[in-house]
Amino acid sequence: MAGEGDSEPGKSFKLLGFLDVQNVPCARESVLYGSLGSLVMGLGHFLATSRVRRSCDVAVGGFICTMLGYWFYCRYNLAQQRIRQRMLKEGMKNRVLFEGSYLDPEKEQTGSERGDS
Amino acid sequence: MANHSQLGFQDASSPIMEELIQFHDHALMVALAICSLVLYLLTLMLTEKLSSSTVDAQEIELVWTILPAMVLITLALPSLRILYMMDEINEPDLTLKAIGHQWYWTYEYTDFKDLTFDSYMIPTADLPLGHFRLLEVDHRVIVPTGSTVRVIVTADDVLHSWAVPSLGVKTDAIPGRLNQTSFLATRPGVYYGQCSEICGANHSFMPIVVESAPLPNFEHWSSSLSS
Repeated sequence: MAGEGDSEPGKSFKLLGFLDVQNVPCARESVLYGSLGSLVMGLGHFLATSRVRRSCDVAVGGFICTMLGYWFYCRYNLAQQRIRQRMLKEGMKNRVLFEGSYLDPEKEQTGSERGDS
Repeated sequence: MANHSQLGFQDASSPIMEELIQFHDHALMVALAICSLVLYLLTLMLTEKLSSSTVDAQEIELVWTILPAMVLITLALPSLRILYMMDEINEPDLTLKAIGHQWYWTYEYTDFKDLTFDSYMIPTADLPLGHFRLLEVDHRVIVPTGSTVRVIVTADDVLHSWAVPSLGVKTDAIPGRLNQTSFLATRPGVYYGQCSEICGANHSFMPIVVESAPLPNFEHWSSSLSS
């Protein structure tokens, strides 16, 4: 049908021929933020000093630092999210397995409540 | 299995392969940063006037010592983490022996019953429609999904290598030596691999097929084979 699924699944855009920014998590945002950081720092340096060559150096340095900085931040959050997903999956599996049995952690709590009353 | 023009990794079907793909993405990002810097410096050098009056360059010497050291640390730490993760003691639920021959594999499941079978490639002439050329075998390795499997790999004649890319496994099969690896198939499916050590004329024609099935299916298969 027309309009359904405009982008092909698995389509990739490889930066410098090797980094697939569309399919690698955090890659696209890192490159975009890096470009923005490069522009801001380079332009800011030029406006402050009017030195073209040094501003270009600052722009390239800014691109690398911003890109890598966001990359580490994003990948760290992604790793934490994956760990939480795994724990959730394990917890859901254990709940299904142990529900109603003596190993059910929720049963222990209701058992202690009855004991108090 | 890989598509005809695929350059990248296959989708991960084990936790180790997921980690390896993550590390590969990280290494590529570091490589992108280095390439950007080198390309810029190259452009700069091509537009700069050459000078022979360099006698003292303490700052640049410091930069190009510290920076590569930091890059190496950035790559080494996650790499070593995965290396040690691969060697963790994980109490496998099943042990499987894979023995390489010229030019087929023999598999042995000897944990509970003596189950042994050979795995030959299906020739193209005998391949059913829709099956994968040079990858299908007559007897697949069946493993239970979600269970850690220990594979002991050896060879009977020459060097071979038991490799399944989507499970992140590649282990050399050396005559007279037992090499051990382990994997955990996280989801049901069929995973293809090929012999990865040159072993003669039909080296390309001794594939490996691992089928991950739910535990009841695995039990039914093993009991049907042993009876």
